[in-house]
Amino acid sequence: MKKDRKNSVINNVGRDQPSPNRQSRRKFLIKTGGVLAASAFGAVPLRGWAADPINIGALYPTTGSMAQIGVGCVAAAKLAVEMVNEAGGIKSLGGAKLNLIISDVQSDTTVTRTETDRLITGNKLSAIHGCYASALTMIASEVAERAKVPLITGSSSDQLNKGRTYTFTPFARASQFARAQLQMAKLGNDQAKIAVIFENTAFGTSTSNGLKELAPSEGVEIVMFEPYSAGFTDASPLINKVKSSGANALFSLSYLNDLILIVRTVKQVGLKIAINGGSGGFVMPDFYKNVGKPAEGLQGVAHWNHDVSDDAQKVNVEFKKRTGEFAFEYAGGLVAQTFMLADALERAASADPQKVREALSTLDVSSGYAAMAPGGKVKFGPDGKNVYGRPVGVQWQNGDLASVFPKEDARAPLLKL
Amino acid sequence: MWETLAQAVINGLLIGGIYALVSIGVTLIFGVVKIVNFAQGEFVMIGMYISFFLANQFGIDPIVSLVVSMPVLFVVGVLIQHFLIRRVLGPNDMPQIFLTFALSLLLLNLALMLFTANYRTVHTWYSDEAIHIGELYIPVAKLIAFGVAMALSAALWVFLRTTDLGKAMRAASQNRDVATLMGINPNRVFCVALGIALALAGAAGSLLMPFYSAYPFVGQVFVLMAFVAVVLGTLGNVIGALVASLMMGVAESLGIQFVGADSGLIVVFAMLLLTLAFKPTGLGGGRAR
Repeated sequence: MKKDRKNSVINNVGRDQPSPNRQSRRKFLIKTGGVLAASAFGAVPLRGWAADPINIGALYPTTGSMAQIGVGCVAAAKLAVEMVNEAGGIKSLGGAKLNLIISDVQSDTTVTRTETDRLITGNKLSAIHGCYASALTMIASEVAERAKVPLITGSSSDQLNKGRTYTFTPFARASQFARAQLQMAKLGNDQAKIAVIFENTAFGTSTSNGLKELAPSEGVEIVMFEPYSAGFTDASPLINKVKSSGANALFSLSYLNDLILIVRTVKQVGLKIAINGGSGGFVMPDFYKNVGKPAEGLQGVAHWNHDVSDDAQKVNVEFKKRTGEFAFEYAGGLVAQTFMLADALERAASADPQKVREALSTLDVSSGYAAMAPGGKVKFGPDGKNVYGRPVGVQWQNGDLASVFPKEDARAPLLKL
Repeated sequence: MWETLAQAVINGLLIGGIYALVSIGVTLIFGVVKIVNFAQGEFVMIGMYISFFLANQFGIDPIVSLVVSMPVLFVVGVLIQHFLIRRVLGPNDMPQIFLTFALSLLLLNLALMLFTANYRTVHTWYSDEAIHIGELYIPVAKLIAFGVAMALSAALWVFLRTTDLGKAMRAASQNRDVATLMGINPNRVFCVALGIALALAGAAGSLLMPFYSAYPFVGQVFVLMAFVAVVLGTLGNVIGALVASLMMGVAESLGIQFVGADSGLIVVFAMLLLTLAFKPTGLGGGRAR
């Protein structure tokens, strides 16, 4: 089993190759020679080898500006693989274990392209998951499509469902988030008058336009619609403006540091207004740590939350034990995704990426860890979208992120102002 | 209506106080040493991280941690002048520009490596408090920051007017060669100027910490405003930089309030362009100090 341990990359980031000194090169030749010979003479089961491990690629930014969430994703990916393996691995493949091969995409689109390529060509992968950040996932998905390796992701960009056949997105799409936010505002106040403030680049502009288009059909009035430049030094003038607009709900489509400033300023002004902070950094444990008490009662949307089901709560307990934080949306979603892959591998009875893709496209689960999503069911449409996918509305209550919307997923009532 | 206007002016003045600390540092270095310090924003960032770690590890209030961040950055300033800037002072400007720019990049990337890009905030009892007067409100954290910033500016002004070292600095800024002929040791004066300028940046960082997040790029936000203020208030003129900073804070705030939330900087830069067009030497009238 020594060999097994050496080959396993669970605890190594893929870049850490041993230095090619003479000793290890000889070892390497002996080993690869053995493996090549074994495969040349057909499947010769070696003593102690139950079955070949199944390689799953994991692409996450564990360094650079997106590292914090990326590191959390890796922790969740490891947890998920252990859970599958402890439950007996893939039974149709003789109890084969999942082997996670992690690669750091360094929060950089160029590195993501080369690393995805390297991961696919350098290893026999059955599937890939990653990269959490939509901008990176878009690139990884392109590479995976060309290499015909299925990629499953928690990223919410709708672009990932366009013209792709190997990309699977089991959770709510960005376009669904806006509607959920508006419905939550209405739930909080029948006469919802919303002020929308958004940072004036692609992220804020596209999301705010979605809100603007949907608002009339949801019966919600937008009384203020204001772009601002991200990274401002002072939120006071902006909040001053919100105050004079007479809005009773504030949608802030902002990056984290702006949002922190906005929330603090609202408290200083003493403005009584329901704040919806959207998703992303807002639904991370760090948000509450940074903002503290003023975060209480703030609403947002997520594609997964740690209290959506009993299974999710079990995962949360284990994740908390390992990292000290609750399982955030990408972490929990990742555990579900790994079980979806396991389900597909089980039915495919093959580690071949093409067959895994076929099996994923016919996935239909409504129980177990694989169905651990808002809505409780996963089945992929031809565009790789989960036909049952929906976002969950959340609210910070007593330092915890509670699911409050829609009724079916709510674990706590929505606290009104 | 007048409340909105008054509130916008209050908001602008309060943030202008912080801009002032950064820009006074830049203008002091330019006035005395005749170099543009592109890394000034990064020293604000370092001041913020010093206060963050003192608050986080020892529970020291960020405002109190001024007494640590200012001396530390003063020493850093002296060392940078003595070991780096002194070697590139000469007739050619390029090495100086590259030096401070490189310093900025180095510090920024070091911070990214050491502290990651995460936002760090400190929570004090007054972080979310405000004094309410009728319809108006004044955030306590910003009021404290403004007060301390003005006190430090006043102290600097008194120092430059009354002490021998201060007078030597003013003399060096007015005419370096004549000052040297009069027996002023330029390197000593430059070291003190760098030290004071960086200490002010450190102070700005500590004062920001109760209400702003620290992250590696935070300095860039403030240094941009500082450069505009320095040009607006005449390069090298401390009072000019102070007045220009306050004006810019108010202009930005009014711009956000009455033009649009993404137009704050447009108003500030329009103000800069108009000033340069009609009074090219800046509001200080071209006189250093």
